[in-house]
Amino acid sequence: MTIVTHVLATTLGVKLFHLHGRSVVLAYLFGVAVDIDHFIKLPYFLRSVGLRNKRGYYWRSSLQEPVALLWIIPLSIFLGTVVPVAFFIVHLAMDYAVRYEKMPWYPYSAVVTRGWLTRIPDAVKEGVLLVVLICSNVFLVWTRR
Amino acid sequence: MFERLPRLDAAVDRAAGPVTRFLHRRLGITADQVTWASFGVTIVAAAVIARGHLYAGLALMAVGQALDHFDGAIARESGSASLAGARLDTAVDRLSEAAIFFGMVAAGLVSLKLALLAFTAILLLTSVSERSRLDPGCKRFVLYLGPWVAYPILFEVIFAVNLIAYVIGLLIVDIHFQRRMDALGGDLETVASRAAESEAEERQPLPAPRSA
Repeated sequence: MTIVTHVLATTLGVKLFHLHGRSVVLAYLFGVAVDIDHFIKLPYFLRSVGLRNKRGYYWRSSLQEPVALLWIIPLSIFLGTVVPVAFFIVHLAMDYAVRYEKMPWYPYSAVVTRGWLTRIPDAVKEGVLLVVLICSNVFLVWTRR
Repeated sequence: MFERLPRLDAAVDRAAGPVTRFLHRRLGITADQVTWASFGVTIVAAAVIARGHLYAGLALMAVGQALDHFDGAIARESGSASLAGARLDTAVDRLSEAAIFFGMVAAGLVSLKLALLAFTAILLLTSVSERSRLDPGCKRFVLYLGPWVAYPILFEVIFAVNLIAYVIGLLIVDIHFQRRMDALGGDLETVASRAAESEAEERQPLPAPRSA
Protein backbone atom coordinates (compact mmCIF):
# COMPACT_ATOMS: atom_id res chain seq x y z
CA MET A 1 0.00 0.00 0.00
CA THR A 2 1.08 3.56 -0.49
CA ILE A 3 2.48 5.65 2.34
CA VAL A 4 -0.64 7.90 2.26
CA THR A 5 -2.91 4.94 3.07
CA HIS A 6 -0.64 3.88 5.93
CA VAL A 7 -0.58 7.43 7.33
CA LEU A 8 -4.39 7.65 7.15
CA ALA A 9 -4.86 4.26 8.87
CA THR A 10 -2.38 5.15 11.61
CA THR A 11 -3.94 8.59 12.13
CA LEU A 12 -7.35 6.95 12.44
CA GLY A 13 -6.02 4.49 15.04
CA VAL A 14 -4.31 7.28 17.02
CA LYS A 15 -7.54 9.27 17.14
CA LEU A 16 -9.79 6.30 17.77
CA PHE A 17 -7.79 5.08 20.77
CA HIS A 18 -7.00 8.59 22.12
CA LEU A 19 -3.26 7.98 22.04
CA HIS A 20 -0.89 10.59 23.45
CA GLY A 21 2.84 11.29 23.78
CA ARG A 22 5.09 8.26 23.40
CA SER A 23 2.21 6.10 22.15
CA VAL A 24 1.68 8.42 19.15
CA VAL A 25 5.38 8.18 18.25
CA LEU A 26 5.27 4.36 18.52
CA ALA A 27 2.06 4.23 16.45
CA TYR A 28 3.61 6.16 13.56
CA LEU A 29 6.91 4.30 13.94
CA PHE A 30 5.30 0.87 13.57
CA GLY A 31 2.33 1.92 11.43
CA VAL A 32 4.22 4.02 8.88
CA ALA A 33 7.99 4.30 9.45
CA VAL A 34 8.66 0.56 9.03
CA ASP A 35 8.47 1.46 5.33
CA ILE A 36 11.97 2.88 5.82
CA ASP A 37 13.31 -0.36 4.36
CA HIS A 38 12.32 0.97 0.93
CA PHE A 39 15.14 3.50 1.33
CA ILE A 40 17.53 0.68 2.21
CA LYS A 41 16.51 -1.06 -1.04
CA LEU A 42 16.79 2.14 -3.11
CA PRO A 43 20.51 1.75 -4.02
CA TYR A 44 19.83 -1.82 -5.21
CA PHE A 45 16.84 -0.65 -7.26
CA LEU A 46 18.91 2.09 -8.88
CA ARG A 47 21.74 -0.34 -9.61
CA SER A 48 19.56 -3.02 -11.21
CA VAL A 49 16.68 -1.01 -12.73
CA GLY A 50 17.99 2.55 -12.93
CA LEU A 51 15.79 5.61 -12.92
CA ARG A 52 12.96 3.94 -14.86
CA ASN A 53 9.60 3.47 -13.14
CA LYS A 54 9.45 -0.31 -13.21
CA ARG A 55 6.65 -2.08 -11.31
CA GLY A 56 7.14 -5.26 -9.33
CA TYR A 57 10.59 -4.58 -7.85
CA TYR A 58 10.99 -6.38 -4.50
CA TRP A 59 11.01 -3.40 -2.17
CA ARG A 60 10.14 -5.33 0.96
CA SER A 61 12.39 -6.57 3.73
CA SER A 62 11.84 -8.52 6.94
CA LEU A 63 11.33 -5.16 8.66
CA GLN A 64 7.73 -5.21 7.45
CA GLU A 65 6.96 -8.90 7.31
CA PRO A 66 5.28 -11.08 9.97
CA VAL A 67 8.75 -12.33 10.97
CA ALA A 68 9.35 -8.87 12.48
CA LEU A 69 6.82 -9.77 15.18
CA LEU A 70 9.60 -11.91 16.66
CA TRP A 71 11.31 -8.71 17.81
CA ILE A 72 8.31 -6.36 17.95
CA ILE A 73 6.46 -8.52 20.52
CA PRO A 74 9.43 -8.61 22.98
CA LEU A 75 9.86 -4.87 22.42
CA SER A 76 6.18 -4.28 23.21
CA ILE A 77 6.49 -6.36 26.39
CA PHE A 78 9.60 -4.40 27.36
CA LEU A 79 7.86 -1.07 26.75
CA GLY A 80 4.66 -2.27 28.44
CA THR A 81 2.37 -1.28 25.57
CA VAL A 82 0.53 -3.10 22.76
CA VAL A 83 0.80 -0.08 20.43
CA PRO A 84 3.82 -1.35 18.38
CA VAL A 85 2.26 -4.78 17.80
CA ALA A 86 -1.22 -3.43 17.05
CA PHE A 87 -0.13 -0.79 14.54
CA PHE A 88 2.38 -3.11 12.92
CA ILE A 89 -0.34 -5.75 12.38
CA VAL A 90 -2.55 -3.10 10.74
CA HIS A 91 0.39 -2.16 8.48
CA LEU A 92 0.91 -5.83 7.60
CA ALA A 93 -2.78 -6.46 6.92
CA MET A 94 -2.85 -3.57 4.46
CA ASP A 95 0.35 -4.63 2.68
CA TYR A 96 -0.84 -8.22 2.36
CA ALA A 97 -3.89 -6.99 0.45
CA VAL A 98 -1.59 -5.98 -2.44
CA ARG A 99 -0.76 -8.77 -4.87
CA TYR A 100 3.05 -8.59 -5.13
CA GLU A 101 5.24 -11.40 -3.82
CA LYS A 102 6.03 -11.45 -0.12
CA MET A 103 8.19 -13.67 2.05
CA PRO A 104 6.48 -13.64 5.46
CA TRP A 105 8.99 -15.72 7.42
CA TYR A 106 12.29 -15.10 5.60
CA PRO A 107 15.10 -15.94 6.56
CA TYR A 108 13.55 -18.81 8.56
CA SER A 109 11.36 -20.02 5.71
CA ALA A 110 11.49 -19.48 1.95
CA VAL A 111 7.68 -19.52 1.65
CA VAL A 112 6.44 -16.95 -0.88
CA THR A 113 2.87 -15.66 -0.83
CA ARG A 114 0.86 -13.01 -2.62
CA GLY A 115 -1.36 -12.23 0.38
CA TRP A 116 -5.15 -12.17 0.45
CA LEU A 117 -7.99 -10.92 -1.74
CA THR A 118 -5.75 -11.64 -4.72
CA ARG A 119 -8.65 -11.80 -7.19
CA ILE A 120 -9.60 -8.18 -6.64
CA PRO A 121 -7.39 -5.71 -8.55
CA ASP A 122 -4.90 -3.84 -6.33
CA ALA A 123 -6.11 -0.43 -7.54
CA VAL A 124 -9.69 -1.25 -6.47
CA LYS A 125 -8.60 -2.41 -3.00
CA GLU A 126 -6.35 0.59 -2.46
CA GLY A 127 -8.99 3.01 -3.79
CA VAL A 128 -11.78 1.64 -1.60
CA LEU A 129 -9.55 1.60 1.47
CA LEU A 130 -8.37 5.14 0.79
CA VAL A 131 -11.96 6.44 0.56
CA VAL A 132 -13.00 4.54 3.71
CA LEU A 133 -10.02 5.87 5.66
CA ILE A 134 -10.51 9.47 4.52
CA CYS A 135 -14.22 9.35 5.38
CA SER A 136 -13.51 7.74 8.79
CA ASN A 137 -10.87 10.33 9.66
CA VAL A 138 -13.16 13.20 8.62
CA PHE A 139 -16.05 11.65 10.54
CA LEU A 140 -13.93 11.32 13.71
CA VAL A 141 -12.67 14.90 13.48
CA TRP A 142 -16.25 16.11 12.81
CA THR A 143 -17.86 14.26 15.73
CA ARG A 144 -15.14 15.28 18.20
CA ARG A 145 -15.20 19.00 17.42
CA MET B 1 35.28 -16.69 22.00
CA PHE B 2 36.18 -13.91 19.57
CA GLU B 3 34.91 -15.51 16.36
CA ARG B 4 33.94 -12.09 14.99
CA LEU B 5 37.38 -10.64 15.72
CA PRO B 6 39.77 -13.06 13.99
CA ARG B 7 42.96 -11.10 14.81
CA LEU B 8 42.12 -10.95 18.51
CA ASP B 9 41.15 -14.62 18.41
CA ALA B 10 44.53 -15.49 16.83
CA ALA B 11 46.40 -13.38 19.43
CA VAL B 12 44.59 -15.12 22.31
CA ASP B 13 45.30 -18.49 20.62
CA ARG B 14 49.04 -17.68 20.49
CA ALA B 15 49.11 -16.53 24.14
CA ALA B 16 47.20 -19.59 25.32
CA GLY B 17 49.12 -21.92 22.99
CA PRO B 18 51.21 -23.72 25.66
CA VAL B 19 48.14 -24.43 27.82
CA THR B 20 46.17 -25.58 24.78
CA ARG B 21 48.98 -27.92 23.70
CA PHE B 22 49.32 -29.25 27.27
CA LEU B 23 45.59 -29.95 27.55
CA HIS B 24 45.36 -31.59 24.15
CA ARG B 25 48.72 -33.34 23.59
CA ARG B 26 49.68 -34.29 27.14
CA LEU B 27 46.28 -34.88 28.75
CA GLY B 28 44.43 -35.92 25.59
CA ILE B 29 41.49 -33.64 26.34
CA THR B 30 39.15 -32.99 23.41
CA ALA B 31 37.38 -29.77 22.46
CA ASP B 32 33.93 -31.19 23.32
CA GLN B 33 35.14 -32.24 26.78
CA VAL B 34 36.35 -28.69 27.44
CA THR B 35 32.99 -27.32 26.19
CA TRP B 36 31.11 -29.45 28.72
CA ALA B 37 33.61 -28.68 31.49
CA SER B 38 33.06 -24.98 30.81
CA PHE B 39 29.31 -25.54 31.03
CA GLY B 40 29.71 -27.43 34.33
CA VAL B 41 31.71 -24.59 35.87
CA THR B 42 29.11 -22.09 34.65
CA ILE B 43 26.29 -24.11 36.25
CA VAL B 44 28.19 -24.03 39.55
CA ALA B 45 28.68 -20.26 39.05
CA ALA B 46 24.92 -19.84 38.52
CA ALA B 47 24.17 -21.82 41.70
CA VAL B 48 26.67 -19.74 43.69
CA ILE B 49 25.11 -16.50 42.40
CA ALA B 50 21.62 -17.83 43.22
CA ARG B 51 22.79 -18.44 46.81
CA GLY B 52 23.71 -14.76 47.05
CA HIS B 53 27.49 -14.96 46.59
CA LEU B 54 27.76 -12.61 43.60
CA TYR B 55 31.53 -12.05 43.51
CA ALA B 56 32.38 -15.74 43.90
CA GLY B 57 29.82 -16.53 41.21
CA LEU B 58 31.29 -13.95 38.83
CA ALA B 59 34.79 -15.36 39.45
CA LEU B 60 33.55 -18.87 38.60
CA MET B 61 31.76 -17.51 35.55
CA ALA B 62 35.09 -16.02 34.42
CA VAL B 63 36.72 -19.45 34.81
CA GLY B 64 33.91 -20.96 32.72
CA GLN B 65 34.39 -18.34 30.02
CA ALA B 66 38.17 -18.85 30.02
CA LEU B 67 37.58 -22.58 29.52
CA ASP B 68 35.12 -21.69 26.78
CA HIS B 69 38.02 -20.19 24.86
CA PHE B 70 40.08 -23.36 25.04
CA ASP B 71 37.49 -25.57 23.30
CA GLY B 72 37.85 -23.58 20.09
CA ALA B 73 41.63 -23.37 20.51
CA ILE B 74 41.92 -27.15 21.03
CA ALA B 75 39.67 -27.77 18.01
CA ARG B 76 41.93 -25.58 15.88
CA GLU B 77 45.12 -27.10 17.38
CA SER B 78 43.91 -30.65 16.72
CA GLY B 79 42.44 -29.84 13.33
CA SER B 80 39.02 -31.07 14.49
CA ALA B 81 37.24 -27.71 14.14
CA SER B 82 33.86 -28.34 12.52
CA LEU B 83 30.48 -26.70 12.01
CA ALA B 84 28.92 -29.27 14.36
CA GLY B 85 31.47 -28.36 17.05
CA ALA B 86 30.83 -24.67 16.57
CA ARG B 87 27.08 -25.26 16.89
CA LEU B 88 27.55 -27.33 20.05
CA ASP B 89 29.67 -24.48 21.44
CA THR B 90 26.93 -21.96 20.60
CA ALA B 91 24.20 -24.16 22.14
CA VAL B 92 26.22 -24.60 25.34
CA ASP B 93 26.90 -20.84 25.42
CA ARG B 94 23.14 -20.17 25.31
CA LEU B 95 22.48 -22.77 28.03
CA SER B 96 25.21 -21.14 30.13
CA GLU B 97 23.59 -17.72 29.72
CA ALA B 98 20.19 -19.18 30.67
CA ALA B 99 21.74 -20.69 33.82
CA ILE B 100 23.52 -17.47 34.84
CA PHE B 101 20.42 -15.35 34.14
CA PHE B 102 18.27 -17.73 36.18
CA GLY B 103 20.81 -17.58 39.02
CA MET B 104 20.57 -13.79 39.00
CA VAL B 105 16.75 -13.96 39.03
CA ALA B 106 16.88 -16.38 41.97
CA ALA B 107 19.25 -14.02 43.81
CA GLY B 108 16.77 -11.15 43.30
CA LEU B 109 19.25 -9.14 41.24
CA VAL B 110 16.89 -8.80 38.27
CA SER B 111 13.24 -9.53 37.49
CA LEU B 112 12.26 -12.73 35.66
CA LYS B 113 10.59 -10.64 32.95
CA LEU B 114 13.76 -8.68 32.18
CA ALA B 115 15.96 -11.78 32.24
CA LEU B 116 13.57 -13.59 29.86
CA LEU B 117 13.48 -10.60 27.52
CA ALA B 118 17.29 -10.35 27.47
CA PHE B 119 17.59 -14.08 26.83
CA THR B 120 14.96 -13.92 24.06
CA ALA B 121 16.94 -11.15 22.35
CA ILE B 122 20.13 -13.25 22.58
CA LEU B 123 18.33 -16.28 21.10
CA LEU B 124 16.92 -14.18 18.26
CA LEU B 125 20.35 -12.80 17.44
CA THR B 126 21.87 -16.29 17.54
CA SER B 127 19.24 -17.49 15.06
CA VAL B 128 20.58 -15.18 12.32
CA SER B 129 24.17 -14.43 13.36
CA GLU B 130 25.59 -17.36 11.37
CA ARG B 131 24.17 -15.85 8.17
CA SER B 132 24.53 -12.16 8.98
CA ARG B 133 28.02 -12.51 10.55
CA LEU B 134 26.93 -9.87 13.06
CA ASP B 135 27.22 -10.48 16.78
CA PRO B 136 28.36 -7.63 19.03
CA GLY B 137 29.16 -10.14 21.82
CA CYS B 138 27.11 -8.23 24.40
CA LYS B 139 26.06 -11.15 26.59
CA ARG B 140 27.68 -12.53 29.76
CA PHE B 141 30.61 -10.09 29.59
CA VAL B 142 28.29 -7.21 30.49
CA LEU B 143 27.41 -8.93 33.78
CA TYR B 144 30.94 -8.30 35.14
CA LEU B 145 29.93 -4.63 35.40
CA GLY B 146 27.41 -5.63 38.08
CA PRO B 147 29.44 -4.30 41.03
CA TRP B 148 29.30 -0.81 39.46
CA VAL B 149 26.03 -0.73 37.48
CA ALA B 150 22.64 -2.01 38.67
CA TYR B 151 21.75 -5.38 37.15
CA PRO B 152 18.34 -4.30 35.78
CA ILE B 153 20.17 -1.65 33.70
CA LEU B 154 22.72 -4.21 32.49
CA PHE B 155 19.94 -6.58 31.45
CA GLU B 156 18.20 -3.74 29.61
CA VAL B 157 21.49 -3.09 27.79
CA ILE B 158 21.80 -6.79 26.86
CA PHE B 159 18.19 -6.78 25.63
CA ALA B 160 18.56 -3.58 23.60
CA VAL B 161 21.94 -4.36 22.02
CA ASN B 162 20.98 -7.90 21.02
CA LEU B 163 17.54 -6.90 19.72
CA ILE B 164 19.00 -4.06 17.63
CA ALA B 165 21.74 -6.38 16.34
CA TYR B 166 19.02 -8.91 15.44
CA VAL B 167 17.08 -6.34 13.41
CA ILE B 168 20.27 -5.23 11.63
CA GLY B 169 21.19 -8.89 11.09
CA LEU B 170 17.82 -9.54 9.45
CA LEU B 171 18.41 -6.59 7.14
CA ILE B 172 21.90 -7.87 6.25
CA VAL B 173 20.42 -11.27 5.31
CA ASP B 174 17.70 -9.47 3.32
CA ILE B 175 20.33 -7.52 1.40
CA HIS B 176 22.12 -10.78 0.52
CA PHE B 177 18.78 -12.07 -0.78
CA GLN B 178 18.16 -8.84 -2.70
CA ARG B 179 21.53 -9.28 -4.44
CA ARG B 180 20.47 -12.81 -5.38
CA MET B 181 17.18 -11.49 -6.82
CA ASP B 182 18.95 -8.71 -8.73
CA ALA B 183 21.43 -11.22 -10.16
CA LEU B 184 18.57 -13.46 -11.32
CA GLY B 185 16.74 -10.63 -13.08
CA GLY B 186 13.90 -11.55 -15.43
CA ASP B 187 10.24 -11.11 -14.49
CA LEU B 188 10.14 -8.94 -11.39
CA GLU B 189 6.67 -10.25 -10.50
CA THR B 190 8.13 -13.71 -9.78
CA VAL B 191 11.72 -12.92 -8.86
CA ALA B 192 11.26 -13.57 -5.11
CA SER B 193 9.91 -17.10 -5.62
CA ARG B 194 12.63 -17.90 -8.18
CA ALA B 195 15.36 -16.58 -5.86
CA ALA B 196 13.87 -18.56 -2.94
CA GLU B 197 13.98 -21.72 -5.07
CA SER B 198 17.58 -21.16 -6.09
CA GLU B 199 18.57 -20.50 -2.47
CA ALA B 200 16.81 -23.69 -1.33
CA GLU B 201 18.63 -25.68 -4.04
CA GLU B 202 21.99 -24.29 -2.88
CA ARG B 203 21.27 -25.23 0.71
CA GLN B 204 20.33 -28.81 -0.12
CA PRO B 205 23.11 -31.30 0.71
CA LEU B 206 24.73 -33.02 -2.23
CA PRO B 207 23.46 -36.60 -2.84
CA ALA B 208 25.72 -39.31 -1.49
CA PRO B 209 27.77 -41.10 -4.17
CA ARG B 210 26.24 -44.45 -5.17
CA SER B 211 28.26 -47.57 -4.63
CA ALA B 212 28.78 -49.85 -7.60
